[in-house]
Amino acid sequence: MKTSGTAKWQRNVFIASFTIPTLLFFCIFTIYPVIKALYYSMFDWSGMSDHMDFIGLQNFKDMFRDPIVWQALGNDYFLVAGKVVGIMLLATFFAVALTRFNFKLAGFFRSIFFIPNVISVVVIGVLWNFIYNPQIGFLNAFLSLFTKEPVTITWLGFTSHTIWMLLPPSIWAGIGFYMILLIAAIQNVPESLYEASDLEGSNQWQQFRSITMPLVWEQMKVSILNIMMTTLNGSFVIVWIMTEGGPDNSTQVMGSYLYQMAFRQYHFGFGAAIGVLILATSLVTTVILQRVLRQETIEMS
Amino acid sequence: MVVNKKMAAAGLAAMMAVLPLAGCGSSKDSGGSESSPSASASATPSASPSASPSESASASPSAGDAGPKLTGDFEIQYFVGGYGDKWWKKVIADFKAANPDLNVIEDGGPKINDQNKPRWIGGNPPDFVYIDGAGLNDRQMVEDGQLEDLTEWFKTAKNVDGTLISDILAQPPQQYDGKIYNIPLVLNSWGVFWDKALFKDKGWTEPTDFQSFLDTGDKIKAAGITPFIHTGKYPYYIQGAILYPAIVSANNDDYSILKDMADSKVDAFKSPAVMAGLQQIVELRDKGFIDKASIQINHTDSQMSFLQHKDAFIPNGLWLPNEMSKDIPSGFDFGFIPSVTQKAGGKVVANTSTATVAIASKAKNKEAAKAFLSFIFSEAQASQWAELSGAPSNIKGDISSSSAPNFVKDAAKFLTDPNTVVIPTITFNADVEKVMWDATDALTIGKITPDEWVKRVTDAAAKVKK
Repeated sequence: MKTSGTAKWQRNVFIASFTIPTLLFFCIFTIYPVIKALYYSMFDWSGMSDHMDFIGLQNFKDMFRDPIVWQALGNDYFLVAGKVVGIMLLATFFAVALTRFNFKLAGFFRSIFFIPNVISVVVIGVLWNFIYNPQIGFLNAFLSLFTKEPVTITWLGFTSHTIWMLLPPSIWAGIGFYMILLIAAIQNVPESLYEASDLEGSNQWQQFRSITMPLVWEQMKVSILNIMMTTLNGSFVIVWIMTEGGPDNSTQVMGSYLYQMAFRQYHFGFGAAIGVLILATSLVTTVILQRVLRQETIEMS
Repeated sequence: MVVNKKMAAAGLAAMMAVLPLAGCGSSKDSGGSESSPSASASATPSASPSASPSESASASPSAGDAGPKLTGDFEIQYFVGGYGDKWWKKVIADFKAANPDLNVIEDGGPKINDQNKPRWIGGNPPDFVYIDGAGLNDRQMVEDGQLEDLTEWFKTAKNVDGTLISDILAQPPQQYDGKIYNIPLVLNSWGVFWDKALFKDKGWTEPTDFQSFLDTGDKIKAAGITPFIHTGKYPYYIQGAILYPAIVSANNDDYSILKDMADSKVDAFKSPAVMAGLQQIVELRDKGFIDKASIQINHTDSQMSFLQHKDAFIPNGLWLPNEMSKDIPSGFDFGFIPSVTQKAGGKVVANTSTATVAIASKAKNKEAAKAFLSFIFSEAQASQWAELSGAPSNIKGDISSSSAPNFVKDAAKFLTDPNTVVIPTITFNADVEKVMWDATDALTIGKITPDEWVKRVTDAAAKVKK
């Protein structure tokens, strides 16, 4: 009786020694900032001053009346959609090509495609700024090879839809990681399945549809969710480096607008409210995507 | 199982969303602990021994021969940017020598505005602040009640040489509802640059007014060079050097309109002068003078294009030659005029640019801070400023110092000419200013009309005023 009690207690101590520090860190570094952000979003505060005015939900009301917030939200989801389609198509294609088509330079190409992932996003932004530069940029110089007059397109200066131009760098920067993820998944698919289908006379496309896709679906789902989350929360960097949200707010995303409002226009409370909006949209989108992407899990055995 | 996964994914999403915010939150909280340096108790009593007339307490005895008057701690926050920190080191050393009993604490550095932010929020700011660089906005600081009202002090303040400070300032301090909170330390000017050598070579006339600017622009365009490039990513270059002078010229050289705009008075933006200024930008745009690359590039790119003679004119500030000193081709000779938008025979309008100094409203040693103001706004320190920072100081007479390069002398000629309208530096409301920037950008690429510009900006101003 007594001994079993001690054993149970020891077990509890053992469990607690692992969970409590984690929980503590989680509370300090995740829960507390979220609550703090919620708290600040209720204030009219410059971010500099030693006094704050409580204004309830006014920041949120202002936010929903601010056309730039809607523009930013639209741009964010445009980037999510564009990146999910672009990255998943290309990453899957490269992953399949490098695993199923058995050619010699697979390892080499794997490294090449992964390189953009090792480069800092800041560097990527600066690099693509040079590619897009209307005077000395690579893109215009390349296009000029095919025309009589030199091409002088201002790639990042259209009156609208400039956000399209941020897709190629984002996709280019993202492919490598998801390609590696999918390569690992495909290599886990038992070779015997492919051998069997070869005997049945199926071609590469049929193998991809019926074997590869269903068996790596979990990884694809994780990839899509991860692209969505990193875009909603992190597209700020590339936007800020390349356009600072301009021209005329046409490339503003929620993150960049948050920064603009909180630190450039001294509305910290409003910035915090945008932060809460980012949190809410991320959560809602995650749940929705989970539903949409649900598919019967196929176990390999 | 499904639920768990969903929760995990949602949790992950939540975590990523708050990470940027976490940075903000934690930096503020950590400030509390660091913001308690030994605020030595002797800070305040220092005021009592100097029973001199209250108004010019610090000014009357010159710092050199005065006894140990200032005591306690005196903390100075200064941002280190384009003007460097040589002058600050020197002037603080001089001030220490003049006041041996004062414990001067230096808070200097390129990141100091962010580093000291928690202390301003916590109500424990340094005594003296140099307002320059990102993260500090004088108008915002005034609105937040963080700066000491210097209106009364400024009326009678004398520098260490016994001269009235208001008499020797080249540009007066900005007024916020008639009150003064910060004193401009630097005198810099916006304007339009060109390469004198290139113009001489091609036989182009240097512009003196808007018509000659347009005429020269036509010739430049005919010669296959784009006449004008600006910095679309940071539209304050074209606003500072073109739009604001244009508005002042159109307003019969009366710059009070800019002050009203800075105070976000809606009617000011509806003035015909604003429309006239915008029309001049539209004219440049419609004549095809504005380099199409402008809209997407930053200042460095636009300046490089200018230096490479891809473009003939660039709106910029007097710091340009210093900023680009490594990249200036040999033979390049900067020509400069503060404004090109005036009518023929009209006055040149110089829109100045500055960095200011101020005292914190919660300063613990205001006596020392005021004495320091009297100390730095003197001829001696002003000429040191010009020498050590490479920019003209805001003290009259100093700007034409012989060691200054040609374009600075050109500028000095304009700035001291009685026929030049000198606009004192004006800080706009950050919200209104951002809307102006966006609208000006949109105007230069033909996305909106001047009427829409006015509509956008008046809406923003009305919202701020509300």
